[in-house]
Amino acid sequence: MKFGKRLKQQIEETLPAWRDKFLSYKELKKLVRLISSAESPEFGKADAGAEFMYLLNNEIDKFNAFFMEQEEDFIIRHKELQQRIKRVIDTWGPGGTKPSEAEYKDEMAKVRKDMVDFHGEMVLLVNYSNINYTGLAKILKKYDKRTGGLLRLPFIQKVLQQPFFVTDLVSKLVKECENTIDQVFPVEVEAEIVKEQREAITVAGKGIFRNTVAALLSMQEIRRGSSTFGHFSLPPLDLPDSDLIHSFQLNSPITTV
Amino acid sequence: MSSPLPALTSPFKDKYTTLPSSSSSPSIATSDMHVSALTHVQRPQNPTFSSQSSRGVASLPPVNSSFPQSTASLNHTPGNEDASWSLDQLQKFLDLPENAAAPAPNQLAESGTDVMASEDHDKKTDWHEWADDFINVPDPDWSRVLDDTNVLDSKLKVSKQQPQFHQNQPAPHGEFSSNTYPSSTTPTKPRMRWTPELHEAFLEAVNLLGGSERATPKGILKLMNVEGLTIYHVKSHLQKYRTARYMPESSEGTSEKKVTSIEKMKSIDLKTSIGITEALRMQMEVQKQLHEQLEIQRNLQLRIEEQGRYLQMMFEKQKKVENEKSGAPSSALDEAPSPLPGLKHLPCNNDKSDSEALQQDHSRTGIDPGNAGSKNEKGTADVSMKQKALETESTHHIEKNDDESGFPVLKRARTEK
Repeated sequence: MKFGKRLKQQIEETLPAWRDKFLSYKELKKLVRLISSAESPEFGKADAGAEFMYLLNNEIDKFNAFFMEQEEDFIIRHKELQQRIKRVIDTWGPGGTKPSEAEYKDEMAKVRKDMVDFHGEMVLLVNYSNINYTGLAKILKKYDKRTGGLLRLPFIQKVLQQPFFVTDLVSKLVKECENTIDQVFPVEVEAEIVKEQREAITVAGKGIFRNTVAALLSMQEIRRGSSTFGHFSLPPLDLPDSDLIHSFQLNSPITTV
Repeated sequence: MSSPLPALTSPFKDKYTTLPSSSSSPSIATSDMHVSALTHVQRPQNPTFSSQSSRGVASLPPVNSSFPQSTASLNHTPGNEDASWSLDQLQKFLDLPENAAAPAPNQLAESGTDVMASEDHDKKTDWHEWADDFINVPDPDWSRVLDDTNVLDSKLKVSKQQPQFHQNQPAPHGEFSSNTYPSSTTPTKPRMRWTPELHEAFLEAVNLLGGSERATPKGILKLMNVEGLTIYHVKSHLQKYRTARYMPESSEGTSEKKVTSIEKMKSIDLKTSIGITEALRMQMEVQKQLHEQLEIQRNLQLRIEEQGRYLQMMFEKQKKVENEKSGAPSSALDEAPSPLPGLKHLPCNNDKSDSEALQQDHSRTGIDPGNAGSKNEKGTADVSMKQKALETESTHHIEKNDDESGFPVLKRARTEK
C-alpha cells in the first residue's frame, strides 16, 4: 500500500507527458488479489492470472518504448547542446566572431538553464526506469506470495535485461552533462556562503526541479524500513545532504490541463 | 501468412493499454513516435476459434495477433521454451502448440478447444488476442532475448559498440536492435535503440547531404550504411533532430515545451529570492544526488537478484544431489562450493565506487556481520519456501552451506569494509 501511494504521488508530480507511462501498479495488485481469491476455481483464477501476465508484458513493452524514445531524444539534444555552447562561445565569446559580453552572458545563461533542465530530465528518466522496476519487483513478490507461484525470480531476470532497465547510456549522458556544466560554468566560492544562509524555498509549480526533489523524497520514503523487509528488500536510503532536500517545501500540485 | 482470422475488437487490450494508440500492439510508443513506422502492425489478427473453449486457460493457441511475422518462434514446443519457467501455473498459460492444429506456421486457426471459456463472444476473442500476445511475447522471445543479451553483455554495453547498428543478430529477421524486447521482428515495427555513435554517423550523413533540411531519409540511410537500419528509423530520427535544432532557445525539444512555461512560473518564485545562479546550482545539486542514489539503488537491486539466482542455483544443486544420492549430506556440501568460484567473479566486476557505495549503505543498513546470519537464513527460507518441493533436510543443508561459504557477495563486501 505504501508503494502504491508513493507511486501515485510521483505520477501526479511528474512531467505531464509522462503520466500514463508508469506502472499500473494498482491494476496489477487488483489482479493478484483476484487470482488468489477467485471463487470459481478454474475460470476465475486462470482468467485473472492470464490477465495479469498480459498486463505485465504490456507494461514492459510500454516502458521499453517510452524509455527508448526518450533516450533517443536525449542523445540528439545532448549533442545539440554541446554544439550550441560551442556556437555561443565562438560567436559572442571573447575570441569569437562578434564578441559581445552582454550577448555572451545572456546566451550563456540560457544555455546553462537549458543544460541544467536537460540534466534533470535525464535523471528523471533514470528515476522512471527505477521506480517501474521497483514496482514490478514488488508486484511479482506479491504474486508469488499470494498464488504460491514461482514467477518472480525468472521474470525479474528477464526484466533486468530489458532496455528500459539498462540505463547505462542515459547515466553516461548525465555524467557528461555534469562535466560540461562544471567546465563551462565553474562554481564560484560565493555560492558556498549563500548555501549556509539558505532558507526554506518554496518550489512552486511543476518543473523538473520539483520533480527531482519529489523523486528523491519519494525514494527515501519507499526505502524507509518496510514491514516486509526481507532478503530481497532495499536498505533505507542514505542521503548525504537530506537537509537540503527537505528544505524544499513542495507546494500542492497544480493540476495542469 | 495471414490467418483466416476475423478482426476482432479487443476490449481487453483497451482496458489495459495505456498508450494512446490503444488499439495497436502494446509496443507502440507515444505520439512522439513516428507512427508511420509502427502502425503497420496494427491490424489485429486474431485466431478464429470455433466454439469450443474449455474452461481454464489450459492452453492458449500460439497465434500471433499483433505480430504477424514473428512466426518461427511460435513453433517451439513448450517444453523447450518453458524451461526457464517450469512452473505448473505458467505451463498452463504457455502450453502452446500441443493443442494447436497448426496449419499455418504460426497463425493458428482452430485450436479453440483450448481457449478460455466465455459466454461472450467478445470475451472469448479477447482471450485469443491477448493470448497471442502473451504467448508470442514473453515465452519464445524472452528466452531468445535472454540468450542474446547474454551474448551482448559479454561484449559490453550497447553504447560502447561501434557505430554499427548494434544488434547481435538474434533472429533471422534481424530488424531490431540487440537490447530490444523482441515482441516482434517485423521490419515494420522496429524498436531501435540509438547510441551516440550511431547518431554521429547520422549527423555525418546529414551534413554530407547538405543539412537537416535538405537531407532525405533515403539518402541518409544509404550513406550511413548500417546494417539493420531501416528508413523508418531514419525518418523518425530525422524528424526528432529537426525539431531539436529549431527550437533551441525556448526549450530543448517538444517534450519540454509545456514544462518550460511552467518552469518560468517556478523560476520567478525560486529565482528572485536567491538569484538565478544559485538556483541553478541547487537544482544541479539535487539532481546529482538523485542520480547518485538511483545508481546505488540500481546496483543494490542487481545484487539482490544476483543473490537470488545464486540461491536458486544452490538450491537446485542441492535438490539434484538429494535426488541422486539418497540422504548423503556430505556430498551435497562438497558439491556446493563449485558454483562459488564462478560467482566470486561477479562482485569483482563492480567498480570501486560501487563497492564503496555498498559499504556506505552497509554501514547504515542491516547488512552487516551481526545481521548477516539471520538475514541469510531468512532469505534462504524465503527462497526455499518458494521452491515448494522442499524437504526440511535440504533447507538445513542450504543454510548450513551459507553459513560456511555462502553469500560470497556479502562476505566480500564485508571484508572490504
